[in-house]
Amino acid sequence: MNQSLSSLAAARRNHKTKHNQLPWGIVVLAAIIGIAFFLFANVPQAAIMWAFGIIIGFTLQRSRFCFTASMRDPVLTGSTSLTKAVLLAIGVASIGFAYIQHSAAVSGLPIPGNISPVGPNTAIGAAMFGIGMVIAGGCASGTLMRVGEGFLIQIITLIFFIIGSLWGAHDFGWWTANIIPKTKIFLPTLIGWIPALVIQFGFLIGLYVLANKYGKRSDKI
Amino acid sequence: MDNTSLYAKLLKNPWSYTTGAIILGMANITMLSITGSAWGVTTPFSYWGAWFYQILGGQPDTWFYFSQKTHAAAITAGFWNNGHSVSNIGIIFGAFLATLLASQFKIKKIKSKKQIFGAILGGLLMGYGARIAFGCNIGALFSGTASMSLHGWVFMLFIFIGAIIGSKLLTKYFI
Amino acid sequence: MSEYTLDCLGEICPVPLIKTQKKLAALNKNDILIVSIDHSCAMKNIPEWARKEGHNVEIEEINDGEWEIYIEK
Repeated sequence: MNQSLSSLAAARRNHKTKHNQLPWGIVVLAAIIGIAFFLFANVPQAAIMWAFGIIIGFTLQRSRFCFTASMRDPVLTGSTSLTKAVLLAIGVASIGFAYIQHSAAVSGLPIPGNISPVGPNTAIGAAMFGIGMVIAGGCASGTLMRVGEGFLIQIITLIFFIIGSLWGAHDFGWWTANIIPKTKIFLPTLIGWIPALVIQFGFLIGLYVLANKYGKRSDKI
Repeated sequence: MDNTSLYAKLLKNPWSYTTGAIILGMANITMLSITGSAWGVTTPFSYWGAWFYQILGGQPDTWFYFSQKTHAAAITAGFWNNGHSVSNIGIIFGAFLATLLASQFKIKKIKSKKQIFGAILGGLLMGYGARIAFGCNIGALFSGTASMSLHGWVFMLFIFIGAIIGSKLLTKYFI
Repeated sequence: MSEYTLDCLGEICPVPLIKTQKKLAALNKNDILIVSIDHSCAMKNIPEWARKEGHNVEIEEINDGEWEIYIEK
């Protein structure tokens, strides 16, 4: 039976009018390296961030990584492959982050990482973001990646993303005065390093197991 | 092209999600250790918006948001001195490069008015939401949670609730 | 056994997968569905879903950034 599909695919293959874009890829690669050297000579920090951006964009596209799908697919299509992948990415990062943060803490330096105030603003903003990314078909990193892949619609998303960011920045004073608490909660400061690490990895592993079960369950539907 | 060649494996066939997850996790760790700040995407969007608004004659620097120390310094310093602005452009070019090397680049035209409506509404919601929640899927969900900040975990719970609502809206109005 | 086509060119995620799921549900056993897509994520998530459901799947790149996915119900 698989035979018929293969022959169908083979028949279609003969019709394709394939162009090889590899030479253009090499031109773009040369340009990227050229820009890196130019930046390194002028703003070294920018050259480093440029390299990070290239590696991340390349990886996002090659692995079809999608943070939006990690939240949306369990709801819409029953797939949890990306949910598990995002949990894994957070887990990997957590190990290195914890080491860097702990080293800073024992030297009496400020704790590095993204530690921000948490309150009703987090819940409202995250829910808005969740709705937005599903109807736009991509979040921030996804939109940038898809602009690079040639999606015209994502250029519109990006423009309105920027307008929305400016709008949020404009209203930020009101949110700060009325809603956003001052408190940033870093788990190890709140409950100690060992309990924080146990909770951190306990939750990540627990969610992974849950996602794995749910993913297996839905393929029977 | 032989499907098992090195070219096919590395540049043509999609990598596994697991491969992507490990590289992204390692990249974020390296970024935090080298530059002192974890990966983020949306804060630069507010700067880009501010710079355009300044060109149009606006004065966003008088707003509370841009009078905060880090944001004030960032909009004065300009694009090339803002690390995440540069990495954002890098993401576009990295994805462009990956698509070309796979010989899979295609300009995808806009299909319908529904798509445009989704892009406008979705873009605005994400832009505004990320400002008040202190981050997006990257700055809050990925880097915030990995930083063991409670806001990352709260963000994870509520973005999932948002995604459920968004999915209902999508199947009802956007397909 | 009949052949059906589904044009998802220009659709963005997750629309191609949802349309495929709906269309396939309406077909009979051994029918073949040909889905045309140009969304690079759909060329990974549609075959992944269909294989998990136990269908035979073939994917062919018919042009730069354009694929046809063949699913046998």
